[in-house]
Amino acid sequence: MTKGKKILAYGVLIIASFISIFPLYWMVCAATNTSLDVTRGRIIPGTHLIENFKNLVSQYNVAGAMWNSFRYAIVLTIISMFICSLAGYGFEIYHDKGKDLVMSIILLAMMVPFAATLIPLYRLFSKVGLLNSAIGFILPTISTPFLIMMFRQSARSFPHDIIEAARMDGLGEFQIFIRMFIPTMRSTYAAALTITFMNAWNNYLWPKVIMTDKNSITMPMLVANLKEGYVTDYGMLMLAVFLCTIPTAIIFFFLQKNFAEGITGAVK
Amino acid sequence: MKRRVLVSLLAASMTASMVAGTVVSADEGGDNKLTVWCWDPAFNIYAMEEAGNIYKADHPDFELEVVETPWADVQTKLTTAATSNDLESLPDIILMQDNAFQKNTLTYPEAFVALTDSGIDFSSFAEAKTAYSVVDGVNYGVPFDNGTVVAAYRTDILEEAGYTVDDFTDITWDEYIEKGQDILEKTGKPLLSCQAGESDVIMMMMQSAGASLFDEEGNPAMVDNEALKKVMETYKTLKETGVLTEVNDWDQYVSSLTGSTVAGTINGCWILASIQTAEDQSGSWAITNMPSLVDVEGATNYSNNGGSSWAVTAGCKNTELAFDFLKSTFAGSVELYETILPSSGALATYLPAAESDVYAEPQEFFGGQAIYSLITDFASKTPSNNTGVYYYEARDAVATAITNVVGGADIDSEIQVAQETVEFQMG
Amino acid sequence: MGKTKKMSLAKKQNLTGWGFLTPAALLIAAMSFYPMIQAFILSFQSGKGNALKFAGLYNYQRMLKDTVFMQSVKNCFFYLIIQVPIMLVLALMFASLLNNKDLRFKGFFRTAIFLPCATSLVSYATIFRALFAKDGLVNSILINLGILNVGYDFLTHPMSARIIIIIALVWRWTGYNMVFYLSGLQNIEYSVYEAAKIDGASPWQSFWRITVPLLKPTILLTAIMSTNGTLQLFDESVNLTGGGPANATITMSHYIYNMTFKYVPSFGYAAAMSYLILILVAILAFIQMKVGDSRD
Repeated sequence: MTKGKKILAYGVLIIASFISIFPLYWMVCAATNTSLDVTRGRIIPGTHLIENFKNLVSQYNVAGAMWNSFRYAIVLTIISMFICSLAGYGFEIYHDKGKDLVMSIILLAMMVPFAATLIPLYRLFSKVGLLNSAIGFILPTISTPFLIMMFRQSARSFPHDIIEAARMDGLGEFQIFIRMFIPTMRSTYAAALTITFMNAWNNYLWPKVIMTDKNSITMPMLVANLKEGYVTDYGMLMLAVFLCTIPTAIIFFFLQKNFAEGITGAVK
Repeated sequence: MKRRVLVSLLAASMTASMVAGTVVSADEGGDNKLTVWCWDPAFNIYAMEEAGNIYKADHPDFELEVVETPWADVQTKLTTAATSNDLESLPDIILMQDNAFQKNTLTYPEAFVALTDSGIDFSSFAEAKTAYSVVDGVNYGVPFDNGTVVAAYRTDILEEAGYTVDDFTDITWDEYIEKGQDILEKTGKPLLSCQAGESDVIMMMMQSAGASLFDEEGNPAMVDNEALKKVMETYKTLKETGVLTEVNDWDQYVSSLTGSTVAGTINGCWILASIQTAEDQSGSWAITNMPSLVDVEGATNYSNNGGSSWAVTAGCKNTELAFDFLKSTFAGSVELYETILPSSGALATYLPAAESDVYAEPQEFFGGQAIYSLITDFASKTPSNNTGVYYYEARDAVATAITNVVGGADIDSEIQVAQETVEFQMG
Repeated sequence: MGKTKKMSLAKKQNLTGWGFLTPAALLIAAMSFYPMIQAFILSFQSGKGNALKFAGLYNYQRMLKDTVFMQSVKNCFFYLIIQVPIMLVLALMFASLLNNKDLRFKGFFRTAIFLPCATSLVSYATIFRALFAKDGLVNSILINLGILNVGYDFLTHPMSARIIIIIALVWRWTGYNMVFYLSGLQNIEYSVYEAAKIDGASPWQSFWRITVPLLKPTILLTAIMSTNGTLQLFDESVNLTGGGPANATITMSHYIYNMTFKYVPSFGYAAAMSYLILILVAILAFIQMKVGDSRD
């Protein structure tokens, strides 16, 4: 890379980063200011952070909401990744006309807006008695066409010689998936994990409809509650929004090396 | 291999702990418990909890659980549960926006409990307010918060231009626009701000003349509706003269008030809570009634915007308890209103409470005005309003029309289109 | 003997494949297809609330006459045609820039560019509206640069409001799509690029000859997902512009939501409109798969 090109690359990235981060910066500033300062457009950090925090925790069960969000998101992510990657692997490695057709049909499942399927789904869960239950909470989002397709597409670059070699060594098909595919596709898993966690964390409408219990509040619900009401405390709201954003950001930051810096050849 | 076992163990144990941790059904706590959905911790949740405390004093084993639920979600869950015939999953009491009463009770009559024979005395509430929750002669709601319209002005800015708040009392929109232009010229500040694409101002103007977008039978009545035409013309003039400035969202609207970019506002009296967050403006606000429409039959200086009422749902297992609770608190306890008014600043609509000394207390923030008794007085003069079942459809159609009118379109043809849109959506 | 054994092995593997995809497929059948079939039946019924009766194709004919819905279809296609290509090209560009071994602070840049999609809608919608307000930052800059004399109200003019939605979508989802490309790029050996360089290929050439073909499966994935996401767009229409001014930015999903929860519910009609979305997305996805889903 020549020096000129390098400067250009840095320039582009710095501008893009600035534009991307600006709303987050604004949010952090707002979280440290009083509500009045926020409405008056102050965009430099203030000194009201501790006050906002005290107000927030005194009015809301932030720890409870965090814990709920975490356990649902983590359990959902783990189960979802396992089931969908297994399916994606199955679709690609053993592909034939029948499986390609089933894949296309599965894709249809994401093409109808949730507003239209919400009520039939609720009716189903009400019939089988899964309202207000953790299973009811996570079941609809475990298996998604998106994740299955993501693993199917990635499995296309999984070298077939590895499979053949493993079969020679006497490994069973499921063992090949566990011992060969998962470690080799670490970058795909890391990317999928980030995205799945983020989606699970931000999930709002379904949890809100199915959970009526006061104690099952999650972070997005807490943020939604803060917006309601005649007077909004913007400092407090933005602090809650910040707390709601930061877990995904941290997970991304720690995983990005795994999916963005080649570790090919780990298994060979 | 070891790691794999560890990971799956972890996953299994977490799933187990998660499943074990939840599943709390709403009807635990037995016959003495009421569950309520409402949404504002500083106001209606607070009021409900205070009501619970008052009731608990006489009924020691009474239990109250308030689940904070934003209005949009109350509506979503209500629709979902009612459509699924799963009314059991509804709480005992919900707070409902007054504008949504007709829609919900007529669409899902089985989801609500009639309150007419509950022993609650509805005559102790302002009539225009109670009217929102009366459908086909049946009471479905216990009136709660007050949406009476106030016009609030910055007295310091008015003074700069040589006006006092008395110059804005009992005036018409024509006078308002004239004085507004003068103030704009002298101070550079518009008199009024509102959210673009929202029809709050339109609806307030309509109700101030007792006008509605629907006729008595519930059919859209926008075409040839003189009041609506006048309202549209007035709004257009307000915008064109610069007396009214449009902002993009609610946050910007609030900041136009607290940030001193406008000289006043017109809204439901609940807006005063937001105004009062600007503590440094204490003493420089005053309220009065809103301007009246010119040449419209029945025009007054009083209107309403927003407000809500408590409804008992079919999910209520102990309706006797719910009736008695509402009867002895929101519809029978002056003490409750005396408690919640000073600390939340938001007004209710229970008439006997208005006689209380708390209401006559002068408010320093408003230059010593006794705003609460003033607002209660406005409330008693407000014409009642027929929201219609298709209120939200009509509201959106009118918002579209006014946006186009401000952009230069012809008023009559836009009203025609709005009416057709609503008729289409009703079909 | 050997031959039959081999056959049965292939058969066994085929069955294993079905076994692997069964749990996911069953869940989708119960959680998505069952409600979808219910919605499909509903789409042939008309009426308000629970008072529904069979109406044949009435709902499907009705939407063609619905001016608001037709506007929403146009809006969605406008977003699709402009936003998706810009976003995917940008994402691909950032991914290949950040896949460069010589650059420093890559972790920071990647995280920064990813952050928008993790940023809560509440704060980002508020700030976008504030930025594009009449007295907002964007107008101040344009005035200072002498491009404008007075502030332009971006959100109350139809075309500029649509463009702001597109800007917001690009801002929010570019980093998200970049993630897939970054992860896809790891399956390309870096030595391939070095070999191309020795052969005298310019970076531009190696981008088109190596990166794009090898990323084809991932590009297909993101193209289908973005198409689906844009035609089902909801958040930005509701939170950023409220569908306004005068329905100029409203999306199909927003209107369907209104018909279900805000207005007097018309479930049959809402279901029929939802199925139109399915048909539109399915056609586009089918074309994309025909073009891009080849195993070679």
